[in-house]
Amino acid sequence: MTDPRRFFDDIQVGEEYESPGRTVTETDIVIFAGLSGDYNILHTDAEFMKSSLFGERIAHGLLGLAIQAGLFTRATQPYATLAFVGLRWKFKGPIKIGDTIRVRAKVTAKKETSKGDRGVVTVERTVLNQRDEVVQEGETDLMVERRPA
Amino acid sequence: MVQPAKFYFEDVALHGVLETPAMTITEAHVTLYAGLTRDEPLEPGAVPEILPLCLTTGLGWRVPQPPLAVLAFMGFEWHALSPVRVGDTIFSRSKTVTKRSMKDGGVVIEEREVINQRGETVHKGKFTFLVAKRPAA
Repeated sequence: MTDPRRFFDDIQVGEEYESPGRTVTETDIVIFAGLSGDYNILHTDAEFMKSSLFGERIAHGLLGLAIQAGLFTRATQPYATLAFVGLRWKFKGPIKIGDTIRVRAKVTAKKETSKGDRGVVTVERTVLNQRDEVVQEGETDLMVERRPA
Repeated sequence: MVQPAKFYFEDVALHGVLETPAMTITEAHVTLYAGLTRDEPLEPGAVPEILPLCLTTGLGWRVPQPPLAVLAFMGFEWHALSPVRVGDTIFSRSKTVTKRSMKDGGVVIEEREVINQRGETVHKGKFTFLVAKRPAA
């Protein structure tokens, strides 16, 4: 059986992907608060947030980041990823309960490493809501296997 | 009524270091996280790299200091230096490296490390927050 994963050699700079959408629910936020232990009132106090700048509870920024990581895996055939190496990330706007987010991604760089069997792929990512507003954006570096000789 | 204490921009000490309690990352954390996000571990026993980061935000609420009055989490950079495995016990250490006063609040940049049970720094990065100033009495 051939390996369906895409190797460093297969991935081209300039490739673009767009994921399906995913509606962020109150349940997502409650579970994430429980999992992470981050009960900041921004995410957990509906009454307090009525009088805030946002007018309601908002999702944790890192929940948005984690959901886009999952959406990315649904945007393209899986990479032969060995590790996630790093990221640079900006939070541009709130994700509210009921918002539907998706990720648009583009391969911006490929760098071979001193080890000949792998390389770093840099992917620029934009997280958009249902109104096409950018809510998060940044770059991620992934260590990807080279196609075995 | 006594309001819960908050840590404002004026209270943040430049170069101040804060260490959280530690926690063990279990299979349950990984399963719950992967089910919630579909960000799956790359192999059995591996911990998705974003998960320890998420857990350190909660650990940050368990220190003997009131929570920082964050107005906005503006952005961050993050480096995964070595893998985290199920069963590892992690804590985080953070240090304020920049404080910049603005009109409505101040920018605080914090360096954060995630350290495992062997004292190895496994992840590290820099966070930028917009923090509220102390309201006039």
